[in-house]
Amino acid sequence: MENISNTLDQIVASLPVFKPELSLMATFIICIFVGLFFKKQGSKGAFIISLTGFLVTICFLAPQIGHPTTGFFGMLLIDDMATYSRFIIAIGGIITAIFIQQRHPKNNGDVYSVLIAVTVGLNLLTMTSHWLMAFIAIEMVSIASYILVGYFSENKKQSEAAMKYALFGSVCAAVMLYGLSLVYGLTGNLDFQSQAHLQGLMNAPQAVISIALIFVFVGIGFKLSFVPFHVWSPDVYEGAPTPITAFLSTLPKVATIILFTRLYTAWSSTLFYFSELTIWFIVLVAITTMLIGNLAALRQNDSKRMMAYSSIGHTGFLLMAIFAYQASAAYLLYYLVAYVLMNFATFLFIDQIQQQTKSSDLRSFAGLGKKMPILFTCFTLTTISLVGIPPMIGFFGKLLVFTQVFEVYQASKDLPYLLLLCVGALTSVISLFFYFKIPLYAFLRSSDKPIVLNPSKNILFVLGMILTAAIIVLGIFPSLLLDILG
Amino acid sequence: MGLLSIFIFLPLLASLLILALPVSSKGSYKYIALGFTMVQFILAGYLYVHFDPNLGGIDSANDFQFVEQLPWIHMELGAIGKLEIDYFVGIDGISLPLVLLSTFVMLMGIGASWNIAKSPKGYFALLMILNMAVMGIFCALDFFLFYVFYEVMLLPLYFLIGIWGGERREYAAIKFFIYTLFGSVFMLLVIVGLYFSVTNPETGAHTFNMLHMMHPQNYVEGSFFAYMANTHNVLGVPARLVGFIVLFIAFAIKVPIVPLHTWLPDAHVEAPTPISIILAGILLKIGGYGIIRICYSIFPDMAALTNWWLALIGIVSIIYGALNALAQKDLKRMIAYSSVSHMGFVLLGVASLTAEGVSGAIFQMISHGFLSAALFFMVGVLYDRVHDRYIYNFRGLASIMPKYTAYVAIAFFASLGLPGFSAFIGEAFVIIGAFNAESMATGIPRWMAIAGSIGILLSAAYFLWTLQRMFFGQTRVKGGTDWLDALKDLNRREQIILFPTLALALFMGVAPAFVFTNLNSSVLHLIDIIKPYL
Repeated sequence: MENISNTLDQIVASLPVFKPELSLMATFIICIFVGLFFKKQGSKGAFIISLTGFLVTICFLAPQIGHPTTGFFGMLLIDDMATYSRFIIAIGGIITAIFIQQRHPKNNGDVYSVLIAVTVGLNLLTMTSHWLMAFIAIEMVSIASYILVGYFSENKKQSEAAMKYALFGSVCAAVMLYGLSLVYGLTGNLDFQSQAHLQGLMNAPQAVISIALIFVFVGIGFKLSFVPFHVWSPDVYEGAPTPITAFLSTLPKVATIILFTRLYTAWSSTLFYFSELTIWFIVLVAITTMLIGNLAALRQNDSKRMMAYSSIGHTGFLLMAIFAYQASAAYLLYYLVAYVLMNFATFLFIDQIQQQTKSSDLRSFAGLGKKMPILFTCFTLTTISLVGIPPMIGFFGKLLVFTQVFEVYQASKDLPYLLLLCVGALTSVISLFFYFKIPLYAFLRSSDKPIVLNPSKNILFVLGMILTAAIIVLGIFPSLLLDILG
Repeated sequence: MGLLSIFIFLPLLASLLILALPVSSKGSYKYIALGFTMVQFILAGYLYVHFDPNLGGIDSANDFQFVEQLPWIHMELGAIGKLEIDYFVGIDGISLPLVLLSTFVMLMGIGASWNIAKSPKGYFALLMILNMAVMGIFCALDFFLFYVFYEVMLLPLYFLIGIWGGERREYAAIKFFIYTLFGSVFMLLVIVGLYFSVTNPETGAHTFNMLHMMHPQNYVEGSFFAYMANTHNVLGVPARLVGFIVLFIAFAIKVPIVPLHTWLPDAHVEAPTPISIILAGILLKIGGYGIIRICYSIFPDMAALTNWWLALIGIVSIIYGALNALAQKDLKRMIAYSSVSHMGFVLLGVASLTAEGVSGAIFQMISHGFLSAALFFMVGVLYDRVHDRYIYNFRGLASIMPKYTAYVAIAFFASLGLPGFSAFIGEAFVIIGAFNAESMATGIPRWMAIAGSIGILLSAAYFLWTLQRMFFGQTRVKGGTDWLDALKDLNRREQIILFPTLALALFMGVAPAFVFTNLNSSVLHLIDIIKPYL
């Protein structure tokens, strides 16, 4: 009896910690009800409610900064890394909601509730070090993402994308679960930061560990779409509606990277086999992901597909950032903010162009620079940031990651770290080729066909410009952001 | 906001102004650009007049003039320590003449773009951003700031070549961009390495301050680029040598040296005339400036170690560039290759590590700056009229364009190093420096000086031969009477631009002290820094 009351006490005491997520869950339920009972005003109501929900979450998040705590028997870890990444996710959620509302104003009541469900999953992912929790969160995100990808599907291609995504996702989840069961068998504890967990991994035979860990990484790899688990993402990104693509290419990666960072910091500090395996796995995957993502992007002619490969390349860079993670998460978070800003801006611009020309093919951008000078100027500035050229935010993010990897290299003198740096630098040059196809077509080429535009000035364009302004300002004055994060 | 900041950021203001004005007032863009650059030129003149030639600069902040230092990005970063990036600008004897040259060439460039018809708004806005970046590069004393300006320069140039260029402009623009970016991303890695190796003696924080990087005592023991007892290496090559080579390659691409020069003929040929002028007149100098300011000052030990190879590269560039120029049939390409050859002298002079050689190298940069700008302008004059610049398509131009021929002849003679003109001083000092190097024991053998003079001989050959082919003999042009009608002599605007340039070449040839006075103490100080390692 006493045990139960203790448990209850703990749960009740943990509830305040869980406020941001609780408010999201409440929003989720209200959204569903609004969709059910107010069919007519449903979409608009759900949109406003979801925005309110995100804002309330942000209000609840703010007091958590600087007060690290745990909840629900250590299942939830609230630290600054978790809080800041949830900020990023909430703001990203708001942008996505606006994006959806502007682009698909009709028949979208339920999509907001699904979006909120994803956000809850993402939040959980950022604040746990428990495999079970992580698995639940990953599944929550995955299942909701399958729905999002297929929600607005109008043609065969989009349905195919949703189907592919669901199939790949389920297989990867199954493999990951199998790996987790092995890990549990080896350690008897699912909290990967716990002593028992590490002890179990130290004592386990190498072959079993290799299999178990690689299976676990499959699941994470699927969400992060690093090589060789990246094959789904170009098809899905191209097929999914642009707002959903923008969402998928940013926020799930943020959350998964945070989880992976926790895993890496917990595991990499020992000298045992599993630590080395983790380190070398990350180095190897980072190098191949950067190379393959960027090289494959060279051959793309569709802007969304190109961005899919570009985001694979950036994943490699994020892995490099994790790998270099030391005492402060500020660098990693800065790069995440940069990545989210740049990707959202890019997809907002692609969507604008797609609306006006009915095509996302790069070759159809020919001569558009003259017709839409402001849009393409902003777009070009964003691509500069993606390449990592100063004075943009992408440059400073890259510089911070380079400094950290260099620090590791200077301390260890291991050649692979230098290789990591060189590949990082080299892929920036490679990425110039494909990112610059955008200004190349828009400004340098002219179209032989007369360009017919369907003018559509709206909020999204303004939003894109705001993001571009943020990319420039935070690039020139990175302290504005770093002082908060650090 | 100090004088130097105003000087650097004036063009940015011009650019914003141009962007803000409606398209209906497009006639005013060129006047805005001209006006702002004129103010810049006057400011540069002010800097020149108030410059104290006794202060050396190079590695001591107190000896820099018009210094401004503001904290830009200062942060606590936990385990890694403090991050320290300053907005730090100032000029010394090496940057002053280049700053003055840049404003002058920029004026020429604007003069040459007077008749730009294709979207002048974008053109002049980009030109002004380029202007800002270039001035920033020459004034920056913080490596981070330098790098930011260095990269910002690329973008306007990409569009200026890519949109307003010739037929193969896309290819030329991206080739130029890739070459420079390739050099600079690896430069970034070295900057990061230097950042971790150097601390600010006052605050103990890691710093991007270039001047701190020039003092051996600021290097952390055991760090990657440490001076003493440095065991770091990359595939067996010592870390400091790797750092030096990477930085050298980044700047050598800009100079350009053989074999990293292949972007240059393409960029020059495809670029519109004003951009060619700015490329040759200013941007190539950034390479030479970077080698002196960064490679040599931060890695003096490696400069002493590698100068034989650098001089050899210089010689190869001189001879190879000259031989290529001889073989060209396109006038613009010929001048582009002559640039490669003339910039080889800069490298030879710098590598000689003698006061004469280094001064000569800087003088050569200045002299080549406006002479090559003038040459490209003259090619532009011809191209504007008949849209052709094939050497063999013209003959006997002297009788239909006498003024033009006179200017071209003077420019050619000045460029080939005729005594009395500036190029002679530059090249002669470089050769003298290289020749003296053996007695100063800097490791440059005498035959290199002789090889350099062969380059002068070759330059005489290609310039005079071109003069003979195109301007003398019976008038015969490919386009027949249409061309003969189109080939009008120089108009007043063109003369206004060309006359001061060539007058300056003559003036500096007669009175080289105009540059040398301010240069001297900086050059001597640089040599003093490197000497202990010889």
